Amino acid sequence: MADEKKAVEKNIPEIPKGEPSIKTDVIDPISLMQYDACTRCGECDNWCPTLDAMKRDMNISPRDKIGRWRNFMGKNYGLMARLFGPRKIPEEDIQNFNDHLFHCTTCGACGTVCPAGLNTIEMWEATRQQLVLRGNGPYGKQSLFPKLIGEMHNPYMKEQKDRLLWVPDDVKIADNAEIAYFTGCTAGFNMQVLAVSTARVLNKLDVPFTMLGEDEWCCSSALIRTGQPHIGDTPREAAIHNVEALEAKGVKKVLFACAGCFRAATIDWPRLMGRKPNFEVVHITDFLAEQVEQGKITWEKSLEGKTITYHDPCHLGRHVGVFEGPRKLIASMPGGNFVEMERNRELQRCCGAGGGVKAGIPELALGVASARIKDALDVKADILSSACPFCRRNLGDGRNSVMSLETGDFNKRDNEGNDMQVEDLIVLTAELMGLSTKIKSET
Amino acid sequence: MSEAFSYYSGVPTFIEMLSIAMVAILIFLIGMILNMKKWGGGSIKAFLSAFIKSASENKHQSIVTSLVLDILLQRRLLRRSPFRWVMHMLIFIGWGGMLLLSLVFAAFEMLSEIGIGSFDLNAIRNSFDVPNEVLGYLLLLGLIIAIIRRLVLSEVSKRTQIFDWVLVLGILFITVTGFIAEGYRPDSVTAWSFLGADAALAQSLSLFHVAISLLFCIAYIPFSKYMHMIAAPLTIIANGGGE
Ligand code: SF4
Ligand code: SF4
Repeated sequence: MADEKKAVEKNIPEIPKGEPSIKTDVIDPISLMQYDACTRCGECDNWCPTLDAMKRDMNISPRDKIGRWRNFMGKNYGLMARLFGPRKIPEEDIQNFNDHLFHCTTCGACGTVCPAGLNTIEMWEATRQQLVLRGNGPYGKQSLFPKLIGEMHNPYMKEQKDRLLWVPDDVKIADNAEIAYFTGCTAGFNMQVLAVSTARVLNKLDVPFTMLGEDEWCCSSALIRTGQPHIGDTPREAAIHNVEALEAKGVKKVLFACAGCFRAATIDWPRLMGRKPNFEVVHITDFLAEQVEQGKITWEKSLEGKTITYHDPCHLGRHVGVFEGPRKLIASMPGGNFVEMERNRELQRCCGAGGGVKAGIPELALGVASARIKDALDVKADILSSACPFCRRNLGDGRNSVMSLETGDFNKRDNEGNDMQVEDLIVLTAELMGLSTKIKSET
Repeated sequence: MSEAFSYYSGVPTFIEMLSIAMVAILIFLIGMILNMKKWGGGSIKAFLSAFIKSASENKHQSIVTSLVLDILLQRRLLRRSPFRWVMHMLIFIGWGGMLLLSLVFAAFEMLSEIGIGSFDLNAIRNSFDVPNEVLGYLLLLGLIIAIIRRLVLSEVSKRTQIFDWVLVLGILFITVTGFIAEGYRPDSVTAWSFLGADAALAQSLSLFHVAISLLFCIAYIPFSKYMHMIAAPLTIIANGGGE
């Protein structure tokens, strides 16, 4: 009865008798094999940020989730199922599994520490998609992503024609250049301080750059992370659209200041298109680290003896492997005292925003962010820097929650008066280069 | 059939042993076929081509490096927990080493049986006694550590399920039966010879030991949650290995 109710609520088609309760057709063979490869050692549970934030509710444990899906597979496709037919899995069990699977930021820490080398990110995303297709997923407001991104090409309900509204008069954007800056929806609409800082830094360094402007579509990362890439085929269309538009401009290198877009362009777009783009995909921190090495950056200001730490965004670090560029950039900033948090580089603790958690389960995102803020407080950081607008936003919320501060205006630079400043590295770079970080409405 | 030759502890029944081994391998292969079908969405070919594609696309290092550093030496585990690594290696080296010696000896025995070569099987067997015993103790030590860890560490004991115990205690049982069968061998030179010489008992125990080893450690794997013993190394190869 409870089962039927759950199925009706979720609009799940009734499973005919004798048919398996779950399908596996969109989960790739390697991910399916990996469910059988888990040794149940529990190492992943020691590192999972959402498990910690959920006060170690073992339903959230990556090890247990693997075990539960493996059991489902056994019931429907194991030896007994072959001999006597698949066993029905209670609808409630599947729905609970789905909900627990979405309590995950797809940060990948579990896979990084797994002695069996499981690529958990691929497993989670593919299994989410299977459950979305079944009618169980996604979770909460994540279900708005397909309509917003599919129809408006951004998740913030903004008009495409407003893509360049953030550009202040002093910023020079070339019609054609070898370098392009892919702004991303978050920096372009909601955290414009990052976009203006990036543009001013590039101008100051005499690096001519172009942009897609109204032709830029959301990278679709949110759809892929939440198991909804098939809906409207939006991510594939977006990948083809963005790549072809950038190639048509003849650019050789595309810079990203958003870790989510960077991950999508590095890993997801080539996979969706079946080919690599004809340009190099570079994160702005790596690009600026190169500029530092070439002696091209002149610092006008100093960090004035402040202690600064760096949070590796999951999508930049663990997912793609960019760890050193941001550190080289910080090391070159004068007058600072750089300290690592205990969990850094590939073992960092996620900010809590990824995998659709910020939209779907905001209280979980805040719980994870608060833990990360405590990591930074443990090393007595005056500045917690990162290299992703999404991390900065969520860590800012975490800081405000831990320190009982008012919600800040994340469109603007963080207030220096805050006990611990949470700021993007590019915004700090612009400031220390003596550039304005004021957004258009402030100038 | 060679005259009353005793396989390790005195089993004169080469054919029986071979039959059990064949049945175990057959069951294992059927299990692997079913698993590969499951992973490939009903098609073994789909699994194999995805596996080959993944292994070749994710080539961060040579396959030999993956086999040696990641699968045999378990460096990912060493990075996380040197203690668990020692425990795991004791079990792995003990179990794997004895399996290897058994296979080598079985090969000699088979060649003799089919008349391809003439070997002094008794001498070969005796030369394996010491390494077998050392490997057996390594395995036993690893298993004892694993059992104590499960009993003593509350985090581990809380999360231990019945099949974790079946695995550890199952292998412990097999190991101990091996020692006992060896101890009853009339020409035993091991510490277990205090059990006394009893050729008939040694033969039956030896047959029992080898039969449960083959059935539990080979035939049963693909049908159980112990499938990770096969799937984990395959995963490392598919993902290109690395730290
Ligand atoms: S990806 Fe991150 S949040 Fe998700 S289960 Fe793994 S460690 Fe936990
Ligand atoms: S670390 Fe890997 S093998 Fe260990 S329980 Fe987690 S997923 Fe399984």
